[in-house]
Amino acid sequence: MADYDISNLKFLVVDDDANMRQLIRTILGSLGVSAVEAAGGADQGYAMLGKFAADIAICDLRMDPLNGIDFARMVRTGDDSPNIYLPIIMLTGHAELTAVQQARDVGVHEFLTKPVAPAKLYKTIEGLIEKPRAFVRSKGYFGPDRRRRADPNFPGQERRRKV
Amino acid sequence: MADDKLEIINPPNALKQKVGIGGAGAVDLEALERAEQVIAGMTDSYLEWVVEDLKKIEQAYLALASARGDKKEEVKAVFQISHDIKGQGGSFGYDLMTAIGNELCRLIEKADKVGASEIAAIKLHIDALKLVITEDLKGNGGKEGEQMLSGLQKVCDKLLV
Repeated sequence: MADYDISNLKFLVVDDDANMRQLIRTILGSLGVSAVEAAGGADQGYAMLGKFAADIAICDLRMDPLNGIDFARMVRTGDDSPNIYLPIIMLTGHAELTAVQQARDVGVHEFLTKPVAPAKLYKTIEGLIEKPRAFVRSKGYFGPDRRRRADPNFPGQERRRKV
Repeated sequence: MADDKLEIINPPNALKQKVGIGGAGAVDLEALERAEQVIAGMTDSYLEWVVEDLKKIEQAYLALASARGDKKEEVKAVFQISHDIKGQGGSFGYDLMTAIGNELCRLIEKADKVGASEIAAIKLHIDALKLVITEDLKGNGGKEGEQMLSGLQKVCDKLLV
């Protein structure tokens, strides 16, 4: 792992569990990050982005009434979204494969399975720093490129064009 | 843009521009160890949180046990708290809380119906969660924890056939 100083990064934490918000805030603080805002719901978190220019959002998948998928969709495609490219880390539990697939399809960058620990969270942040993903806009999708590697044996028609 | 065309956009790497490498604030192995210690130091807070969560899940269970109709709202309430318990335990060294919470979430998510057997199984899980805290079973809880988890898994597997 590279030793990055991430103290200048701003984080938005969106989780309906207050204890989890506190835990993540503490982990980020112990990694040197002081600019952390937290929201208890997807709509509240989205609204917060208007006044807090987060560099990374950490959002729980399971929330009610709007969940992490709704949050990611708002960020990527909302008419008033302040940053459609915002890196989003989605917190998930185990055995949530269907929901993870849905989250991937609305433009989530990375997944972090609970329980959260400092090294796991840092590694995820490090991945965002070191391997920024291109964004893809197609008829049915806008978000980070879901192909992480070029596949020389890709059998389909290459539809991609660079802009 | 034609419907079948994909557009590739390379946004500027804002993160790389804002982070430094090395120096006093760098996250190296020592910094990660310090961070782990900070989290370990929050164990007392966790135990306060989880005691509250266990009270809430007990109340949610009592509401479920006495509910009529489709019990959807009552089941949802139990699920929500078990999901929180599952998410937190392992961060503080209580991996068994995460494992039992995971089984309880699985049971609720996969069950076609919530009848007397499912409600009894939910109660078993809640009692097991309480036991982990009262007995202070850290990690996987040793032999006692393994037996408890394996028993709960068998109950779930039987109900989820």
